[in-house]
Amino acid sequence: MHVNYWREVHTSGPGRIGLGLLLLVAIAAVLAPLLTSYQPAAYTGAPFMAPSAQHWLGTNDVGQDIWTRLLYGARTSLAVGGGVALLSLCLSVMVGCSSALLGGLYDRLMMRLVDALIVIPPVIVAILAAAYLRPNTVLLIVLLSLFLWPGGARVVRAQTLSLKERMPVYAARTFGAGQLHLLFNHIIPDLGPILIALMIQDARRAVFMEAGLSFLGICDPTVVSWGKMMQHALKFVYLDVWRWWLLPTGFALSLTVMGFTFTGFALETALNPRLRKEAGHADN
Amino acid sequence: MLTIKNLKASYNGLQILKDINLNLEKGQVLSIIGESGTGKTTLGRAVMGLLEGSCTGEILFKGKNLLTCPEEELRRIRGREIAMVFQNVEDGLHPLYSIIYQVMEAVLVHGLKDKKAAEERACEVLELVGLDNRRFLAYPHQLSGGEKQRALIALAVVNNPDILILDEPTASLDALTKAEIIAVLKRFTRETAFLVITHDISTAADLSTHMAVLYGGRIVEQGATGDVLAGPRHPYTRGLLRSYPNMSTTKDLQGIPGRMSHHVEGCPFHPRCTQRIQICAAEAPLPVVEGNRLIACHRGGIVPLLEVRCSKSFGPLKVLQDVECVLHEGETLALIGESGSGKTTLAKTIMGLLKADEEEIRLEGKKVTRRTIDFYQRVQMIFQNPGESISHRMNVLQAVKEPLDIHKTGNEEEKLERVRQVLNEVELPGDDDFLKKYPHHLSGGEAQRVAIARALVLNPKILIADESTSALDASVQAKILKLMMNLQEKRGLSILFITHDLALARKISDRLAVLLKGRIVEEGPTSEIIYHPLHPYTRALLDYAPLLEDRSVRPAGSRWARRACDNSLQAAPGLKRPPSATSKGCSYAHRCLAVKERCFEEKPELIACSPRKVACFYPQVD
Repeated sequence: MHVNYWREVHTSGPGRIGLGLLLLVAIAAVLAPLLTSYQPAAYTGAPFMAPSAQHWLGTNDVGQDIWTRLLYGARTSLAVGGGVALLSLCLSVMVGCSSALLGGLYDRLMMRLVDALIVIPPVIVAILAAAYLRPNTVLLIVLLSLFLWPGGARVVRAQTLSLKERMPVYAARTFGAGQLHLLFNHIIPDLGPILIALMIQDARRAVFMEAGLSFLGICDPTVVSWGKMMQHALKFVYLDVWRWWLLPTGFALSLTVMGFTFTGFALETALNPRLRKEAGHADN
Repeated sequence: MLTIKNLKASYNGLQILKDINLNLEKGQVLSIIGESGTGKTTLGRAVMGLLEGSCTGEILFKGKNLLTCPEEELRRIRGREIAMVFQNVEDGLHPLYSIIYQVMEAVLVHGLKDKKAAEERACEVLELVGLDNRRFLAYPHQLSGGEKQRALIALAVVNNPDILILDEPTASLDALTKAEIIAVLKRFTRETAFLVITHDISTAADLSTHMAVLYGGRIVEQGATGDVLAGPRHPYTRGLLRSYPNMSTTKDLQGIPGRMSHHVEGCPFHPRCTQRIQICAAEAPLPVVEGNRLIACHRGGIVPLLEVRCSKSFGPLKVLQDVECVLHEGETLALIGESGSGKTTLAKTIMGLLKADEEEIRLEGKKVTRRTIDFYQRVQMIFQNPGESISHRMNVLQAVKEPLDIHKTGNEEEKLERVRQVLNEVELPGDDDFLKKYPHHLSGGEAQRVAIARALVLNPKILIADESTSALDASVQAKILKLMMNLQEKRGLSILFITHDLALARKISDRLAVLLKGRIVEEGPTSEIIYHPLHPYTRALLDYAPLLEDRSVRPAGSRWARRACDNSLQAAPGLKRPPSATSKGCSYAHRCLAVKERCFEEKPELIACSPRKVACFYPQVD
């Protein structure tokens, strides 16, 4: 009766690939200072240098080391992905669980709010918001979270509605448990795997959206970002530099997103009993 | 005729009788029941003036106080006007004289001079008590126990006393002899007032018109025999009846916890009572008249713990229609009904898991408007499927500890101690290995015990068990039920037992309520309903209750079964039944075998039909 989600994920093919990719990107981000001797903003040599022993991926138009910028760009991507995942998850859980548990008018209002938010196009609003507020990473995280939580809230609410009808929850209510006790001791632990799936999905979308927004120029100008790098690189496609400037950046972004996608896919397979292979947990 | 006022008696400073007040009229048979050592015999001896200890108070016999009477006077009264049959048949007769001689002597002592007449009187009485006339000349050692008892009775009644005190008249007699002795005694009840002292409740039930329950030297309950036996109101009386094996009640035997002691301040029963409150230890309760009963209890007898009246509907479907039930302290009320009758809905509504359309719930007399944490401390529920009701994320310790966490009782160590204690109470190991197990490591019985332990950990007074053993096999079920019954005995747990299994309810419940389509159609003492079902639906349920034999060849021994075989239950010919239950009319009409026109038109109300209630226009009276 217990599904070991971790085991399910890391033994399945897509799960292994996804976790491997994420691990790779994470290592790159964390160990960036060790993997390169340059600073991302420093001018390290002549512009448009081809890859060499000093500059593994050459330099860009102002002579910054592209490999270094790629590594530090991973930090931005993961920070935004992780931050958005956490923040939007918190919002999703707060709204979803409270709606399901309290019900009534509050529930209806909240769900209509969710419906309204889902139809708002994020990029347009983000551009608008950036026009009013100076864009920075934290603002970006908050903005993206505000766009991403409603979908999660729906999932959490639906699941909570089903969980709160479970016997242990009834039993806890007969001990006099309040809603908070039910939430933290019964519902959230049971939501666990779903919350992780939601986080991965949110992180994936956040990484993508962050890249997209910075490509459009909505980003903290002091921070290295893959989207911004690609946008710069695109200006020089008539030169050969795109091969070591644009291509690796796009590749890094794709790998990160794929890492999230594969992990999410593996987790979803484990969560959905209809998708789960019988052989996979027969010995469980 | 005989009035006892504030009688106190003590031996060597140990007070055996405390404030006895009794009244005995001509034609009355008053039985004094109680366990051994409560002072029953002392009371009899005190009336006879044969007590070795000291007595205070008044024993008024025809206006004379026997306690202040000179011995001379007493001797005249004793045997002539007040006679006693002593307890031990072996010691009551003189071994060296024949029976008839001893009876004659009793006549001669009291003034009759003529020996011939005395002999005639003796013969007459001996015949009246049913002693074979060939045995008149026999010596006591030649007689059987029953014959000796007859002789002793003859000895007591020969002078036509006004009051006859019988001390354990049927002790150590076999059932047939006992019945004969009782029949003999009944011949004298018109002329003589009886004071029957016995621990044999069946003798008291058969012989007496009134009953007084003696405990620790005080009368705790008194009333007409039938009333007292059908509905004991004092916890001690109920305990006494529950522990007495008989053919009338169906519930398994239960004892009374603890032992009797005479050195008790306050109410003599309070150390053993499961509904005691503070005042019980401080003051002795005064006997007060409650309805048809005299009860000495600070709480006014067995208290109704939970009174429920509620209605609930899901959309157009009325699941509970004005269901009313009362759960008393320390009793089991079984709620019987087929699936869909609203049993679980009732349980959930009481627990506040479902919101009733209309409800009035009283807990210990106080109206419950909101289910507070205190309500849940008093009332707990055991769910149907134990494996499901325990979260699979919690191990045994966490699961049993959860209610304590919610109620914030004590620190972690105290909680752990309490968990071990309660696991021990439900006969589960409290060791660390077991505490770390998860629900899926437990067997069905173990999981149910854990669920019970979890419900008991807050020390509730009321347990609502919703089909809580139906998922278990019979042997495990039996153990769990024994456990629950033991807990009931030990701490006066009131159990609302919801089940579809009538055979089970019969063994564990004091009262039974039959639920049909959200209405209670019959309610009353379990044995009454089992032996004399009034509602046709109850009969149908009884017909299909589990048996250990082939249904088609049922013996004539079981009363309800026989009725199902002969076709005495027949609907009137030509009566048109609606295909299913209609909103008007009795909800059983479309299936009922004894249905008449009226049943389709009107809904029968639940009417009292003492000692129970039934909702049927044509109850099936035998």
